[in-house]
Amino acid sequence: MQDYQAIHPHHETSPELAKIVELVSVCYQCGTCTASCPVVPAGGMDYTPRIIMRMLQAGMEDQVLASETIWTCATCYSCAVRCPRDIDITDVMFRLRNLALIRGYPARSGVARRGRIYNTDFMKIVRRLGRMYELELVLRYHLKADLLGLIGMVPAGVKMLLRHKLRFLPESVVDRAQVRGIFDRVEDKSQ
Amino acid sequence: MKYAYYPGCSQGSTAEEYDRSLRAVARRLDGLELVEIEDWNCCGATPAGATLSPTLSPTLPDSLAARNLAIANGMGLDEVIAPCAACYKNLRKASHDLNEDPELRQKASAVLEGREMDHVPEVRHPLDVIVNDVGLDKIPVTKPLRGLKIASYYGCLLTRPTPNFDDPEHPRSMDRLMETLGAEAVDWAYKTKCCGGGIYMFREKVTFRMSAAVLVHAKAAGANAVAVGCPFCQLMLDLYQDKLEEVAETTFDLPIFFFTQLMGLAMEIDRAQLGLEKLVVRPFDLLAQTVDAPPGAEEKPRKRKAAKLKAWGEA
Repeated sequence: MQDYQAIHPHHETSPELAKIVELVSVCYQCGTCTASCPVVPAGGMDYTPRIIMRMLQAGMEDQVLASETIWTCATCYSCAVRCPRDIDITDVMFRLRNLALIRGYPARSGVARRGRIYNTDFMKIVRRLGRMYELELVLRYHLKADLLGLIGMVPAGVKMLLRHKLRFLPESVVDRAQVRGIFDRVEDKSQ
Repeated sequence: MKYAYYPGCSQGSTAEEYDRSLRAVARRLDGLELVEIEDWNCCGATPAGATLSPTLSPTLPDSLAARNLAIANGMGLDEVIAPCAACYKNLRKASHDLNEDPELRQKASAVLEGREMDHVPEVRHPLDVIVNDVGLDKIPVTKPLRGLKIASYYGCLLTRPTPNFDDPEHPRSMDRLMETLGAEAVDWAYKTKCCGGGIYMFREKVTFRMSAAVLVHAKAAGANAVAVGCPFCQLMLDLYQDKLEEVAETTFDLPIFFFTQLMGLAMEIDRAQLGLEKLVVRPFDLLAQTVDAPPGAEEKPRKRKAAKLKAWGEA
């Protein structure tokens, strides 16, 4: 860590970032993560996982935190189980998402912005109800981030209606206060 | 044995047939009794992970899971069954973390308003329990799934992260189950590739390419149906199959069954309990030509275009 600060004195350090840099420090750039990643060949990442690892080692966290990759990682753990250096790359991606949200970094693109909206809105619903309410998530997300996309959802929505796969009314836990309490306690500690 | 059952949110909506068929199968199997966890809460799926931070202990996903585990423990149950792969991963990770670290257990109980756990329940996937606890030889197969060529699709979170109940690269448990049911288990390369369901909402086209690749490989291996053990995999491959066909420029026509539905068929459970009518890609023609065909009937080859393997990067 001291080395890192010496090389990059202009970067404000944080316990979150320190932990991430510690995790990726052993990466020797073999590229197994990128070769294993199903999102890369589907064209879903602006930087491959291997490059993200290298950027973090080089102190380029500003670019990493604004990237699409940290949100479009499908968290499938293919890279994590294969990494010869035993880096839990998926865990690193989760930590980067957290850091991006805490720091409020400007997103590099619409994809990164939409990834943030989807992830935070999902948790807002769980916080309120203690359960997922898919219909609200779809509406909330599209009204905020992708109004046109809502039209594209119509055919799938109709199919789900016909198969009775849509839940119209929300379900919630009985003890909503306790679930809200979990969120409050956890969020307090992050301050 | 009695297991605590954690249905998860999808089992009440998009994957209701998974819930129904699993319960129906469990009722017919010796040693698999499901007791639903009272007032269970959502595990937070993938988005909960975006709260991971070293200053946060326990983490949000661990805390959300701990509430469910503590309730199961309070009900006197030692093992939890979670059929959704995302729930399974989150709950299993929390169970592992809490077991390893007594201090974390204490902190978790503070978050849960003092709810203590004398024992942290272990978290299992129903496939694991059926293959390894109940035992394949104990499945009462009365109507072998003759003619079904099943691509067993494990997706990402059934076998990862490790350690897990099956191999992360070459899992075989679902294939062995399919063989026990009398179906042919096709060998294929994409059984553990991710469908992309977790990023579908904001990366639709990317997800379609990921899912299409899975079906291209299933079809190329000669499968006429796919078995899954995750609500997201099922949704991606079934509900959006027409979109995936557009992407891959081919027709798949592959029914996507939950593995519990196939068990129900082979065990001759009343089909109304299996929710087959909920599948978007209709399985009825295929079943009529294979499982339900009179013995000795020739299996009609189904017409299909050759699947085109495309370099997505150039598209």
